[in-house]
Amino acid sequence: MVDHCLTYAKAQRKKGRHVVGMTCEYTPRELIFAAGGIPACLCGGDVDMIPAAEEFLPSNLCPLIKSTFGYSVQKENSFLEMAELVIAETTCDGKKKMYELLAETRPMHVLELTQKPDDPDALEHWVLELRKLKAVLERRFKTRITDGKIRDAIALMNRERSLRRRLAALMKSDSAPLTGRELLNMKSIIAGIPADLEQYEKALRVLQGRTLNPPASKRIRVLLIGVPMPHGAERVLDLIEANGGLVVCQENCTGVKPILDDVDERATDPIRALAEKYFHLPCSVMTRNDRRLESLRTLAAEYRPQCVVEVIWQACLTYDVESFYVRKLAENDLKLPYLRIETDYSPSDSARIATRLQALFETVKERGKS
Amino acid sequence: MICAGIDAGSRAIKVVLVDGKALRAIGWGVADQGIRQGALARKLLDGVLKKAGVTRRALGRVVATGYGRDALTFADTAITEITCHACGVHHDQPSARTVIDIGGQDSKVLRLEDGGKVRDFVMNDRCAAGTGRFVEVVAARLGMGLGDLDKLGGRAKRPAAISSMCVVFAETEIIGLLACGEEPANIAAGVQASLATRIAAMVGRNVAGPVIFTGGVALLPGMTKALETALGHPVRVARRPQFTGALGAALLAARDADPT
Repeated sequence: MVDHCLTYAKAQRKKGRHVVGMTCEYTPRELIFAAGGIPACLCGGDVDMIPAAEEFLPSNLCPLIKSTFGYSVQKENSFLEMAELVIAETTCDGKKKMYELLAETRPMHVLELTQKPDDPDALEHWVLELRKLKAVLERRFKTRITDGKIRDAIALMNRERSLRRRLAALMKSDSAPLTGRELLNMKSIIAGIPADLEQYEKALRVLQGRTLNPPASKRIRVLLIGVPMPHGAERVLDLIEANGGLVVCQENCTGVKPILDDVDERATDPIRALAEKYFHLPCSVMTRNDRRLESLRTLAAEYRPQCVVEVIWQACLTYDVESFYVRKLAENDLKLPYLRIETDYSPSDSARIATRLQALFETVKERGKS
Repeated sequence: MICAGIDAGSRAIKVVLVDGKALRAIGWGVADQGIRQGALARKLLDGVLKKAGVTRRALGRVVATGYGRDALTFADTAITEITCHACGVHHDQPSARTVIDIGGQDSKVLRLEDGGKVRDFVMNDRCAAGTGRFVEVVAARLGMGLGDLDKLGGRAKRPAAISSMCVVFAETEIIGLLACGEEPANIAAGVQASLATRIAAMVGRNVAGPVIFTGGVALLPGMTKALETALGHPVRVARRPQFTGALGAALLAARDADPT
């Protein structure tokens, strides 16, 4: 996946397109496409990048933030090295302050993300932030972003989101044809690569008749929620599936969260349409984040999990605190066993996490007996 | 049909034999854990079988639990200590609603529902300050055994405040207290109070009783008192608390055995 993204990025650069790094799903990829750019996700998932980051950042910080920054220190992320611009947002405090350090050596633009999702003026502010981003992209890449170009990009992203939604929806079946890991592996670092979209269509055709071994019906259906699992940090997902579970849905940002809603292709003001979609992503940085609980209810109804596993990266305060509401929702409303796993990228606690998962699955099976 | 449960813990291996029909324990054994876990467990099991007058042939299913469960290749199946503790406690105390297990390298709190099924559980397995290892380290530092440390704690006038979140730093803290002339009795009681506070945080605010205390640390009477103080709720020690996991494993072996 990394390899073909890299080949693609290099080839596109030769054709005059610009690699633009991004670090969060709040960034509208459509504006990057409309400016002649290709959006590459920079989120770090490699534990080996963390020691270099800890020369600058506190050790008690989210491993995703540290790994992302470590890649920059070590100059090991080819996409970052190619990036002519990095777009970031003021999501959590850890990221926000890390971006200041990143900006010492990288061209950065930080979007100010307001965090009260139901305040009308908060949305207005986000619309203005996106208009500023449009101007920044136009200046940097000496281009004009027309409404037509944005609409084309919206159509492309809507198509990709729709394909990925349909792939995810295969897991709704009692005889789900693929594992959660296989589904995650299909997610590309760069969005909108035509070959990827073809692969998605092909996968939708090919996977229909496939059965897993052991079959999905013999595995415990898990709704995996919480923090994203960037490339290299899939350990907990793998532990779930190695111990008899099947991740039927990932609610997080590497799962379905960013692809649930599309953008109106025919809106008279496409930037406003983009703002409306992206501003309402239910990330735990929002207050209150009731949209996330609503989404969890819907996903539980659609994917019929037998338990909920929430992963929280160490020192991710917003997801950590919010787990109070999520646990209540799982146990009281959804009537599903809930397991919260706080961990980082180091494999030191894998055996202990495996024990908890086994115990959770035993609990699910015992409950099923009565 | 006789079935066996083996709890391969971090500090000790425990074996329980049950009569599958009467669902009654008929044999017990404990040995220190070591490097060759499989062989040690096998030897212990053989000894317990011999004492109970049961031949190897007459032995039915064997269930392994504890952190070393997957190393016991001669067991028929492995079940986590969570499920086994719930089953062991429910057998002796059907009304139990909360189980506190403090073992050598981790501690856990289980909430049970009707019928003894696990409703949910919390485990402390990242920090030794919530485990029996903490008490061991302190006993070694004060130059005494676990039982003596417990008795000493009973004579404390004012338990010392020990607040370090890590056993290594807590040991440093204790060295500091000793240097300042703090009474060892107060330190012993302080350690138990500190451990109990950690466990109470895992239990949460709404304690559902009866609360049953299991695991090797439950053999120390002072710990039960410290837990009762921290929880503000009575705590009952399980019958043979060190064997609860093995008993549960043996009962689960009997339950899932072929009715032949």
